[in-house]
Amino acid sequence: MKKMIDQVGKTMKTARRWRNASKAAIAVSALSFLASCAKDAPQDTWQPAGPNAERIDNLQRPVFYVAGVVGVIVFAAVAWSMYRYRDRGQAIPEQTHGKPAVEIVLTVIPVLILLGVAIPTASTIFKLAETSDTEMTINVTGQQWWWEYDYPASGSNVEQYGITAPIVTSGQLVIPENTKVLLRVTSRDVIHSYWIPKLNGKKDSVPGRVHLLRMEGSKPGIYAGQCTEFCGLSHAYMRMEAVVLSRADYDAWVANQLEEYTAPEAGTDAAAGEALFIQQCSRCHQVNGLKNSDGSLNIAAPEQNLVSGAAPNLTNLMTRNTFAGASWDLLTPECRDNVWNASSADFGERYLAGVSTECLNQKDLREWLRNSPAKKPMYADPTKLASTGGLYRGMPALGLTEDQINIIVAYLLERK
Amino acid sequence: MITTSSKLFYGLGAVSIAGSIVWIIARDGGALGAVALVFIAIALLFLGGIASYVRDGHVLSTDTEQHDSAPAAQRGPSHSWFPLGTALALGMVVVGLVTSPGIFKIGVALLLAMLGEWLIQNWSDRASSDPSYNERVRGWVVHPLEIPVGGALLLAVIVLSFSRIFLSLSVNAGPIVFAIAGALVLFFGSVLSIRPGTSKRVIGTICGVALVGLSVVGVVLALDGERHGLTEAAEEDHFAHRACGEEADYSDEDAVRAVSAKSSVAATVTLKDGALYAEMDGYSGPLTSITLQRSLNSNILFHNEDEGEHRMVVTYGKVVESLGGGVERETLLQACTSLVAKGGQQGVVVNVPKPSFSSTEGFSITVPGLEGASIEVMVP
Repeated sequence: MKKMIDQVGKTMKTARRWRNASKAAIAVSALSFLASCAKDAPQDTWQPAGPNAERIDNLQRPVFYVAGVVGVIVFAAVAWSMYRYRDRGQAIPEQTHGKPAVEIVLTVIPVLILLGVAIPTASTIFKLAETSDTEMTINVTGQQWWWEYDYPASGSNVEQYGITAPIVTSGQLVIPENTKVLLRVTSRDVIHSYWIPKLNGKKDSVPGRVHLLRMEGSKPGIYAGQCTEFCGLSHAYMRMEAVVLSRADYDAWVANQLEEYTAPEAGTDAAAGEALFIQQCSRCHQVNGLKNSDGSLNIAAPEQNLVSGAAPNLTNLMTRNTFAGASWDLLTPECRDNVWNASSADFGERYLAGVSTECLNQKDLREWLRNSPAKKPMYADPTKLASTGGLYRGMPALGLTEDQINIIVAYLLERK
Repeated sequence: MITTSSKLFYGLGAVSIAGSIVWIIARDGGALGAVALVFIAIALLFLGGIASYVRDGHVLSTDTEQHDSAPAAQRGPSHSWFPLGTALALGMVVVGLVTSPGIFKIGVALLLAMLGEWLIQNWSDRASSDPSYNERVRGWVVHPLEIPVGGALLLAVIVLSFSRIFLSLSVNAGPIVFAIAGALVLFFGSVLSIRPGTSKRVIGTICGVALVGLSVVGVVLALDGERHGLTEAAEEDHFAHRACGEEADYSDEDAVRAVSAKSSVAATVTLKDGALYAEMDGYSGPLTSITLQRSLNSNILFHNEDEGEHRMVVTYGKVVESLGGGVERETLLQACTSLVAKGGQQGVVVNVPKPSFSSTEGFSITVPGLEGASIEVMVP
């Protein structure tokens, strides 16, 4: 009797264990499934928004399905074998070694599957590497921890898109829709990697080398990405966005970027901010057309202050939606949503409106100006620059007073 | 009789004498260091003599009855070169301290290696009473290090010797010597492959003779110096490419063949029919204006398809220095190739720190002496 009770107890314990394990497995599976349904996933590779991203998607989906089916079969076979041949105290069966027929089948099937995957993969790789039909060229330069974009005034950029003088910007790559844009990706310091998942695969940016990456967006909108090669302290804050505009909106953007510098009206906070900018900020940041008090052009000298030799050009800062390596928005959350969630038809107008006084994200911008290394970790402690010969990696804290921050913000707000 | 500790003193003494000779040669007859090293050598040899005389202090020198039975008089478990090697390393450390950091560092590395080997040998000699087993024990411990390090050193000697030989030979003789060397290797390799029974001793002797011969020739030619063309180019500061004028006093027909520079070229600039044009990845046709990124090393390759020798000059601004008294001096910021003959090519690396709009004249790529051969360079 006791033996029977013990046996029943043991069976119940085992059943309880199985139930708990099953619950955990179901919970993990459900979480994974629900995670794949996230609506706000700006870096989702399963939602392509350009021809190259679609090519990648067209390849990865069937491969994923095949891998899924193979995975299910393998796991099911393992589970069935574990259950069917579990230890029940039976005698060990006769041991054999090898079964040529099974081995051949189990070799040929994976070979056929891999061949089936390899053919479209090779074809896609060649299509992604195609650059001969380029319509526009943009230089993309990575450095710790932001991306610079410069639009050369050469070739079709001049003839077809009216880029008569080089345009340089940062944080947001602006391209016309349905245009085959070729990015010439390189780096000024360490290896980074450029990736806008909804528009194409990733490409490493390597010092001393130029790598080519096709970028094309099918409809207006903003597409997020981030550096995907660990590049130092603030790698996680090295983000980027690609902005796709209709051709008309893009022309308007180019025209705005090429406009002459307009100095602030004398006697305003912005004018005071301009003087302070020349004194404090223009050591690294270039504003094209800005003049010193003696009338000479103000030329920044980032090569004398920064390891990378470059700092973001702020000429048209308020035409962008982000700052500090696209890590923070220049727009308030409401205004940002207004741009990000705009329909394709409305997007261009809302984006080109830039950052207004009402929409400026004062909190983050002021925090940045107050003490940038506290907001984004950087090697910017002036007492610890011996190893770099006095050069910074990132922006140091400038020790600005609140009044100085007010006038700098007023000046920057006019940089449209 | 040379006892264990006297080996160290004799070795150190010998190296000190060698060091004094090196000092005299390296310091062009300087006497102070040489005298010091000779005195050190005398002192060490004296100590070595004392150590030999007193049998390392284990037996009184006068106690002749125990000369054969005392422990110090017994033959060691195995012969060891490591005391001598340690002495040599110590000598190198001393010589390196007074001559060059390179010798000092090599001496320290050698010293650590010799001491390590010495310690392990002493330990393995006491592993058992069977010398062959002891030798195997030693091998288990040190061969995983000795063999790869030794192989790397051997390779380094071969590579260094080859490099010295080919830097010394004339441009025309180099390929011939290389072909002969390759043919000899192929010949001996073929012979050995068809005669697999050849004894290891014969193969080892051939390899040893070849290695010694290669090293000796390498050392001799290294002392003799590089070939005339290279030394002349170095003397003329040719490698810095500072002379950007039209003058034609040096032509580099072979041009720079740095693979790294050519593997990622920002722009290829070609001179043809008296005109310049550029080609860049991402642009379909020839360009007469190019854009380079600011503060970024850009490799620009110059290809001369025109008659005669020409050089490419990249001008990217100027520096104005105040000489006092209201006098200023303007220096153009330029990078240029040397003169390149027809069909030749050469690259320059340019890092432009300022935007092109900072210069009223703009930035450009030109060929001195050819009016109209110009490309506009824009830097944002």
